[in-house]
Amino acid sequence: MTGLGRSGSSPAVGAGLARRQEELVRALVAGAAMPVGFDVAAVAATQTALLRKRAEDVARTWPRLAASAGPGQWTRVFSAWAAGRAPQGSLRDGWDFALANPPRDTAAQRELALRELLWAYDGETAPRARRGPTARLHAGELLLRWRGRAHTFRLR
Amino acid sequence: MTPLAGRGVGIGWRPEISGFVAELPGLRFVEVIAESLPHSGEPPEALARLLAAGVAVVPHGVKLSLGGAEPVDPHRVEHLAQAARAVGAPLVSEHIAYVRAGGVEAGHLLPLPRSREAVDAVVANVARTTAELDVPLALEPIAALFEWPDDELTEAEFLTEILERTDALLLLDIANVYANALNRGEDPADLLTRLPLERMAYVHVAGGRLHEGRYHDTHTDPVPGEVLELLGELCARQRPPAILLERDGHYPPAAALRAELDALSAATGYPAITGAAHT
Repeated sequence: MTGLGRSGSSPAVGAGLARRQEELVRALVAGAAMPVGFDVAAVAATQTALLRKRAEDVARTWPRLAASAGPGQWTRVFSAWAAGRAPQGSLRDGWDFALANPPRDTAAQRELALRELLWAYDGETAPRARRGPTARLHAGELLLRWRGRAHTFRLR
Repeated sequence: MTPLAGRGVGIGWRPEISGFVAELPGLRFVEVIAESLPHSGEPPEALARLLAAGVAVVPHGVKLSLGGAEPVDPHRVEHLAQAARAVGAPLVSEHIAYVRAGGVEAGHLLPLPRSREAVDAVVANVARTTAELDVPLALEPIAALFEWPDDELTEAEFLTEILERTDALLLLDIANVYANALNRGEDPADLLTRLPLERMAYVHVAGGRLHEGRYHDTHTDPVPGEVLELLGELCARQRPPAILLERDGHYPPAAALRAELDALSAATGYPAITGAAHT
């Protein structure tokens, strides 16, 4: 079937499976043009479902950040930001979202501070686990990294 | 003898429901997401306790990308094989799908074109995987909201050819059969007549919901009555050796999960694992 309701941009006829799979996944999650011949509405439903699943995955890794969007708002807010951005895994997706939308909620700020205590992230490449002990102050708390784990102490 | 014979009704083990799962008196098997198991060392303590109680644990991979045109990542294959050894698994399972291409992750299972080229890709990746595994591999056809525009094969032809050429077992997800048929305007029972059901290792059942005219296989909603009816039809044709409930979030109260497990028992005739009296 061709015509109404079908996508039409770069042709994929004759292209190998590898190229066709890459074209489709880039169109689904990374904002690239949709290859020819797919049912546009069905693909759009898939994009929405992929964003919803991604939002749920990020919310499991970043529960405070997700909660800071307000009750029932996370999937909508995250999806609006993530549409067209290729997934980088839950840790980095949530981190990038937090850098682009700095949380005003104190629990979400603390979550981000704890991540920064344990991981070095330059916003470009995969976060790396920090090594060695260190301590930081964050909002009246002492955050201590010791043997790869975070320990927190409320200061008076 | 098929690997899960006599294991009856099981449930997908997830950390969020490990307390609930630990208290199921008749439980004989669970699945665990393979990628969630540690790369080395012991499985999580809650799983170790199930193993000690004689519960079989089946690692279920979701990120291997067996249907990718690119060869499967040897590190991922090694992890799956190691996970199977760590839990003494009777088999492992993965999907007929791809999850990444050209370095871009989809974040979920994507459908393959039903072409001979795609069959060849799956067959080659299954061979690369089973070469490292000590146990059988079961392949699960996925649910998808869209299809590729130029399919050469029917779904039954596509799946049957893959199973024949790989010697893999079939992990049939009855909710996926329902979802695909509903979204394509087909009769779900039709596919059941055309699949090699004797290759079934076990069956998945999960919940979903209709959203804007499409059925979404969410794993976060209740199992619809229509899916249970289709399960009954499957059992009338060929009762699967074992059956497993998948739930992946928005966990309901324990009583609701127990009721879904009991519904699987009722549909298949396998004993209730919740301690409920046999009806």
